[in-house]
Amino acid sequence: MLKRLTAGAVAAASLVAPQMAVAQSATVQQIMDRGTMLCSGHNGSYFGFVEVNDKNEWKGLDIDLCRALTTAILGDPDANQIVPLSWAQRFPALQSGDVDIIIKATGWTMGRDTELGLQFSLPYFFGGTQFMAHGDLGITDTSGLEGGTICVEAGTTIERLAANYFETTQLDHDMVSYESAAELRSAYLANRCDAFAGWGPNLAVLRATEIDDPDAHVILEDQLSSEPIAAAMRQGDEGFVDTVNWVIAALLIAEEEGITSANVEEMAATPPNPKVARLLGVEPGMGERLGMRDTWAREMIAAVGNFGEIYDRNLGKDSPYNLDRGLNNLWSHGGVLYAPILD
Amino acid sequence: MATAEELRAKAKQRRLIIQSAIITITVLVVWGAVSNAQYNLTRLNMTSGFAFLDRGTGWDYSFSLVERSINDRYSYTLFVGLLNTLFVGFICIITTTIFGFLIGTMRDARHPAVAFAANVYVQIFRNIPLILQAIFLYAVLIHMGGPRQAMSFADIAYLSGRGLMLPGLNVSPTMAVSLLLLSLAIGVGLIGSKKTKLWRGIGIWVGASVVLAVLAALVTRPEGEGVMSIPALQGLRFTGGVSVPIELLAMIISITLYGSAYIAEIVRGGLKQVPKGLVEAGQALGLNHMSIWSRIKVPMALRSIIPPLGNQWIFMMKATTIGIAVGFSDLFYITVNSISQSGQTLELILILMLTFLAINYSIAIFTNWLNARLALKEH
Amino acid sequence: MAAIDIIPPSRFELARKRFIKYGFGTPLAAVLSMLIFAILGMIAWRFLDWAVFQAVWSADAVDQCTEHGGACWSVIDARHRLILFGTYPYDEHWRSSLAALAIVTTVLLSCFPAMWQARRLGILWIIGFATYYLLMEGSLLGLQQVTTDGWGGLSLTLFLFAAVVLLGMPMGLGLALMRRSDMPIVRWFAVFIIDTVRSLPLVTTLFTAAVVVPLFLPGWLVGDKIWRVIFAFAMFFACYQAEVFRGGFQAIPKGQFEAGKALGISYWSILGKIVLPQVFRHALPSTINMVVVTFKETAIVTIIGFFDILASGKTAFGTAEWAPYYIEVYLFVAAIYWVFIFSLGQYGEYLKGRMEINER
Repeated sequence: MLKRLTAGAVAAASLVAPQMAVAQSATVQQIMDRGTMLCSGHNGSYFGFVEVNDKNEWKGLDIDLCRALTTAILGDPDANQIVPLSWAQRFPALQSGDVDIIIKATGWTMGRDTELGLQFSLPYFFGGTQFMAHGDLGITDTSGLEGGTICVEAGTTIERLAANYFETTQLDHDMVSYESAAELRSAYLANRCDAFAGWGPNLAVLRATEIDDPDAHVILEDQLSSEPIAAAMRQGDEGFVDTVNWVIAALLIAEEEGITSANVEEMAATPPNPKVARLLGVEPGMGERLGMRDTWAREMIAAVGNFGEIYDRNLGKDSPYNLDRGLNNLWSHGGVLYAPILD
Repeated sequence: MATAEELRAKAKQRRLIIQSAIITITVLVVWGAVSNAQYNLTRLNMTSGFAFLDRGTGWDYSFSLVERSINDRYSYTLFVGLLNTLFVGFICIITTTIFGFLIGTMRDARHPAVAFAANVYVQIFRNIPLILQAIFLYAVLIHMGGPRQAMSFADIAYLSGRGLMLPGLNVSPTMAVSLLLLSLAIGVGLIGSKKTKLWRGIGIWVGASVVLAVLAALVTRPEGEGVMSIPALQGLRFTGGVSVPIELLAMIISITLYGSAYIAEIVRGGLKQVPKGLVEAGQALGLNHMSIWSRIKVPMALRSIIPPLGNQWIFMMKATTIGIAVGFSDLFYITVNSISQSGQTLELILILMLTFLAINYSIAIFTNWLNARLALKEH
Repeated sequence: MAAIDIIPPSRFELARKRFIKYGFGTPLAAVLSMLIFAILGMIAWRFLDWAVFQAVWSADAVDQCTEHGGACWSVIDARHRLILFGTYPYDEHWRSSLAALAIVTTVLLSCFPAMWQARRLGILWIIGFATYYLLMEGSLLGLQQVTTDGWGGLSLTLFLFAAVVLLGMPMGLGLALMRRSDMPIVRWFAVFIIDTVRSLPLVTTLFTAAVVVPLFLPGWLVGDKIWRVIFAFAMFFACYQAEVFRGGFQAIPKGQFEAGKALGISYWSILGKIVLPQVFRHALPSTINMVVVTFKETAIVTIIGFFDILASGKTAFGTAEWAPYYIEVYLFVAAIYWVFIFSLGQYGEYLKGRMEINER
């Protein structure tokens, strides 16, 4: 009741004083009214990003980002529903409102940004399209794929990148594409194809764990692209984009400042600098400007940790995949991730 | 007490009200849907219209009967999908009909072991969902290993996890498609004409098609190559011959296994309805089993077999949509992929639906024609 | 001697005589019989040898799988919960099992002739369905809430099946009545819908409902994806079922309606009390056939991203450890489908046979 009153008051205030610069987002409002956040899942497992564990729970980097966003908006990391979607269904599902946001290893492309009527958040991950081939073929780069069969996931940017690459290099080949990651994986492992075009991090994850003998597979040197991966949202709700961007920013800033899920309360009690104080809501400003609680970032970090923790848990050293952070490190550690400035 | 006149008037009025209500509601629902779609498209800033059909796709897919490249326009790519659907559909219609008649006849046999074996077949393949059978079979097939581990049949045909490599006539793909179409035209002409007998017509059709194909290969083959092209392992794959991708093979086998179990039941039902007296009359005339089957039982049974058989053929065409589960580029697969690559959901779904309506009406017309042709022969 | 003639030979005896007469009557027939039974026997033996005698059964013994030549049922032992319940919360699986049981019980109860009245069947199915929904969703019973996105495996397959039949049956009856109407517009409307839906592959209908329909609906009507798909599936069921009912109506003499009218009984009373019970009786075997087909067709939802038993089966062997044992998982899923479909189908055959005898 109180919530509704305040919401009403805010709405009334914005009518009277439209110059007030509080980000009001219809999507955020809708999520609050509903009490749950609707995120995208996968039809099966996309290892490291969206996967189903033995207890039938969703986990992965993208799922953790969804949980972070849920905590920021609703204060509870579990107040979300993961809607299983195939690659082909993700944009229609977003447009129809089946999900609020797509956080699903989705590359930022011009077509999606314009014709599909989407808008993208800050990129939170960078990965290039590469090929993984069976080791017994004895090849190290794509020129060895002459006459070979390539598997790829249907409806993805990788599908077009790979097709474009072969068109440029004039390599004779056959292409087979599948609707889900699981089908693609089992087809490649069954030797339906000589090589498998995929997203670099995903290939590395597969090679590290999904395959009994990692040495039996090589990731070819050629890098087709480096794609910025970002969350996709419906156009026309700038407030929601702001919210998502600042959730990602807060995770990065927390890592920069060394705030982890373990020490967040301690840091909040004795903030080492004004930036941390503002981030954790000790000083006001973080919440009000986004139309949320001041302590959202603190709760979020306590629930899911900073970006580094999320990475390590799902892809890095605390995961079975043990991927190097590479490009996906903070700029100060040789990566390309950086946060906008929290003033 | 109302008079009959009044009652009639009242009933008439009620009929009028109900019918106009249906029209009004339909118009309102359609209008509401269209205006909602317009509103949603503007709100979501989505592009609508059919302009995208002229744009290049930029992606590749597993199977095509005709030349293709990633620069093809969407319209052409959808057409290729349609060709693939029709191709698989026709092949399956033919194979299921042949197998269905075979198994249905076995099921009708007096010989207990024959009937039992056919019964086992029908009970296994009819009672498991088609899509499960297709996925299962596909998984088994692709685990057969790469081209280097291919099974060899007398060194002229090979089966591997990539596909079936068969020796073929030395003609270009386009030539092969034109030959197929020509053969189809001859077939329809021969079976359609009332002058030739059905069995003889089929014989002439098959013979003429083979002769034509060999002639075409003789004339158009590349300099210095034989009439037949035999597959041979070269690098990562087989070259030469006809290659049937494993996806296509999985589709054809699974639809055939499933569909023929259904057709077998239709055929058995039809054969059962043939009066015993007729069969006995045939035996009295000294006809052997084969003649009784082909001259008495089948022609009599066809009249009750054809209508459900036509429905089964339509089902076969619709069943090609499982292609998406095994990575075969049928029309549904191409449409879904076009949707995710171009985002033109409404337009593409509309095209898909209209195409399937057209296919089904054509089959229905063909079945009616076939029924009429066979019925006329009886009298 | 006369006594022997009077006692009719038992059915078994007849079958045995037929078997010997036609199976071993001539040398050729005997050779054929031996050959077929030998081949079938060999197939059965090789299968049993692989699936039973050489098989490894427990999840802990998975390392023996590579040594033994047989089936590795360890994968089922380890992952059966995933196959049966999908992503449903692990600690709540008992609810999912009870819910699935409710649907199975409903189907079994409907097989008793005592239940064959529209009202009884309707109540039974609504109760069965409601039990399922309350258990699975949970919030109304004070249990942990699980939304439809979390439903999966066999339970989801059964849910789709029950919802489609429950919703589709009255819709099919409505369409059938509209199609028989003497008002041309009503009739054309029904014919148009029935013919269109029957011409489209089920998967396109479902895909449209899942992906395209929301664009045509105002926000408050969009609802959950699963309900849109169920509605579309029910429409598909209804259009085929309408044709089944039409067949039932055709078997009833028109005079019954006229007699009823002459007696001054209203249209709806004639329909409900006199005509429909007969229609249902005539349409019963074909209806069971439709129900069987519907159960089989639910497998198609895996294409549009639902976590039904086929999809959860695929996930079950989707890890490095279990990837080699895909055949075992597919066989397990196929066996579940087969048991349901075969027994329903056999029941339909039995009913059909019984009704043919009654009509003689």
